[in-house]
Amino acid sequence: MTSTDVLVIGGGIVGQVTAIRLAQAGARVTVVDAGLNAGSTANAGSLHVQMQSRFMRLYPDQVPNIEASLPLYCQAVEEWVHLDQQYGSFELVRKGGLMLAETKAQLAFLEKKAERENQKGVSVDMLDRSALERIAPWLGPQIIGAELCRNEGKVNPLAANLRLRAVADKLGVQFAQDHIRSLSADNQIKAIGHSGTYRADRTVIAAAWGAGALVQSFGMAIPSIAEPLHMNITEACSARIEHLVQHAERSITLKQFNSGQIVIGGGWPARDQGTNRVPTVEPSSLLGNVSLAARLVPTIGHVRIIRTWAGMNTTMDGASVIGPLPGCDRVVMAVPGDAGYTLGPLVARLAADCVLGQPDHGRIDRYSPTRFAA
Amino acid sequence: MSTNRFFFDGQPIVFGQGQSIAAALTNAGLRAFRHTAKGAHRGMFCGMGVCQDCLVTIDGIPNQRACMTPAASDLAIETQVAFPVLEDMPAPVKSNPARVLEPDVAIIGGGAGGLSAAIAARTAGASVVVLDERKVAGGQYYKQSASQPPLDAQQREGASLLERAHQSGAEIIGSVEIWGAFDGPLFLADVAGAALIVRPKTAIIATGAYERPRMVPGWTVPGVMTTGAAQTLWRSYRTLPGQRIAVCGSGPLNAQVALELAEGGADVAMVAEAAAPPWQHPWQAFLALTADPGLVFMGLGMMRNLKRRGIPLHHQTTLQSVEQKGKGLLATFKTASGVQISETVDVVCMNDGFEPQNEILRLLGAQMRYDTAFGHLRCTRTAGMETTVPNIFAVGDCAGLGGAPAARVEGEIAGRTAASRAGFGDAYDLFADLRRLDRYRRFQASLWKMHDIAPKPLDTAARDTIVCRCEEITLGEVMDGLGTAPGHVGTLKRATRVGMGRCQGRYCGPVATRLVAEAIGKPVEDFSNFAPRVPIKPVAIASILAAQEALDDLD
Repeated sequence: MTSTDVLVIGGGIVGQVTAIRLAQAGARVTVVDAGLNAGSTANAGSLHVQMQSRFMRLYPDQVPNIEASLPLYCQAVEEWVHLDQQYGSFELVRKGGLMLAETKAQLAFLEKKAERENQKGVSVDMLDRSALERIAPWLGPQIIGAELCRNEGKVNPLAANLRLRAVADKLGVQFAQDHIRSLSADNQIKAIGHSGTYRADRTVIAAAWGAGALVQSFGMAIPSIAEPLHMNITEACSARIEHLVQHAERSITLKQFNSGQIVIGGGWPARDQGTNRVPTVEPSSLLGNVSLAARLVPTIGHVRIIRTWAGMNTTMDGASVIGPLPGCDRVVMAVPGDAGYTLGPLVARLAADCVLGQPDHGRIDRYSPTRFAA
Repeated sequence: MSTNRFFFDGQPIVFGQGQSIAAALTNAGLRAFRHTAKGAHRGMFCGMGVCQDCLVTIDGIPNQRACMTPAASDLAIETQVAFPVLEDMPAPVKSNPARVLEPDVAIIGGGAGGLSAAIAARTAGASVVVLDERKVAGGQYYKQSASQPPLDAQQREGASLLERAHQSGAEIIGSVEIWGAFDGPLFLADVAGAALIVRPKTAIIATGAYERPRMVPGWTVPGVMTTGAAQTLWRSYRTLPGQRIAVCGSGPLNAQVALELAEGGADVAMVAEAAAPPWQHPWQAFLALTADPGLVFMGLGMMRNLKRRGIPLHHQTTLQSVEQKGKGLLATFKTASGVQISETVDVVCMNDGFEPQNEILRLLGAQMRYDTAFGHLRCTRTAGMETTVPNIFAVGDCAGLGGAPAARVEGEIAGRTAASRAGFGDAYDLFADLRRLDRYRRFQASLWKMHDIAPKPLDTAARDTIVCRCEEITLGEVMDGLGTAPGHVGTLKRATRVGMGRCQGRYCGPVATRLVAEAIGKPVEDFSNFAPRVPIKPVAIASILAAQEALDDLD
């Protein structure tokens, strides 16, 4: 049996940064992670701010929550910038994100969206073709304009995950691989896993889509859902694609890493194989996603895809879940809404502040788990 | 009229009819084809489209494999730079129309197993398509030449098998790069820039094996290649890999190729065999003799011929390092008694056994078990050669090493079973075929017990030894990664980039998998390896677009 001050359930970006913040404050921290079907370790490093057209199309009912969260996304990228300065380099680049339009209707959609985003403090601008030509000459001729969101960027998640893990190790954070099956709290936290039982004074739930099941016994109905998504990566080339590229109507993210490789993704579905196997790639997603990239950036036709993979995104109601459970402040939630990797470090800090007794009510109350109390 | 001449970095290179670009460059004495991101030079290594190290730029299109691309007049070929510039690439042209095939039996791989399966299935009445990666089918054992008459009995046997397959009415399509395998089954492939979509009733996977290298300091320098790569140069293209050659590893292929190269005019400095001589394994030698006396006498004949030609055969001798020295290579070996032997050569050939090309089988979810003796996965099959995935069959070395004679029998069985599954011919009595198969398998078992086939642990003192050729990751980096990211080879991959390159972990993967298994104290199983993922081989984005458009038209 392991006993510690704080048990962090989930070892992705949220869990790691939470553990770092708590350990820095002097807490003894154990991170327990199932080590399967992760989101963070399969993430491709887009730092999202503007509302993703994919999300707006798939989950229209969640758009109000996403829109209300826009300031959080802006702050989240700032959090990444600080983290990169402190512990990087994570190869963070913030040249902004382009959302492309091929038709007048798409352009009109983006203009409206940009207006709404501006009101929430997001730094956005509409670009016409000639303005685009100057910063993204590799775009196909059918692109008539784009929305540029200056807050957006990209990191190398492999570098970030590895360096943050090293920071946590150095601070004495303990890591265990186990799948927590049940969680209870009386005068302390008791978490039962497949291979061990863990006791702690408090726990932080950083388990993404697994969060809902873990706190069900506390009378919470958090609709955290795993969404298996597909990614592709090319061999290296010199392409000078500095922006995070998206589309006004269709699912795509396209960006270039420092390695010269181009990463193509954007939320095409992968096939779930259950909790014990990694999700597999759907042919329709591979074909659709890469073909779309080939149409938007025609010159990449001669570049080869060398690998695809799939990982899990988490959706709930469009907003994050941050803060203690109603009636049980030993359990603190730390689950980002959409774009969990972008929001991860900020959500982690806000949750850690709760554990340390310094909750930032002004920022987190809107994201309290209370809204899911039965 | 154009001559048989292309340009490499502006220099005219004359090529022979049917030669690959790699063969023509080798013939011209050129060995370094590309520069890596870290500035190293690389050339041909596997000679069979696996390692992705012989990449060149052809008419502005980057990253083309010199070993798989036929030479053609007036091509402008350039040394491949690490970061080809997007703006310099030619605009993608509209590809040739896609083909959609829906045969009763699709056979992936036209080697000993695949061709035998094709003849059997076609004879039963099924429609058969054979897809082969090379321009000319025949596989790695029969290694056919596009332009020359057969060199010997082995090539003649292959030519006759290929001829029979053609005559059976099976359609044999060459230069097919299969990059996608999905449930259905659905195979997606590229044939010279055009999409090929195959939706068969049944599929027989006969993709063979590739060679296991010996990872020592210097194994990535140009001039070091697999024994099979050297054999392909000679047998398929009548090109000697170099003038003075050392051959090393374990298994009968090394001695055979050493002899072939010597007969072709090369100066073979030595053959280093890791195992003890056969007279130190008398019982296995006897068992092999009872299983297949013909093959045993062939093996003894090879040893006699090496002696006759004055080629030293050193048993219990292993390669330690390769260093570039002037225009040549200094290869250093260690004998059983610890004595160092050094040879200055221009080519080092290595074969330390084989790794099955089981990517398609793993992608489709066929059950695999780890064979510790061979250090690779074996596919679970019924007596009819069907995998655990209904209507997917596996024959030959891709299902676990078994050799060409066994592959032929397995092919015949699978061809008939698959045809019957598709409604052609009845299920038949396997007794006679299985008895033949058993004899070949007994021979193989004894043969490999006389060699040193289990994968060798790397010399951990040589931390600079490259483990991942593509990403240039050293053994030291991998070992450090084991400290920080234990658990699974996937974690190690993300921590160190081992296996993230173009060859998709085909060389480093088995090594990294075993290192992780050792570190966590668990036996290797299918799940211990990198997760199987498409594309099976790197595929141009334009090819994916072509396949997508073709499938769209179908729906």
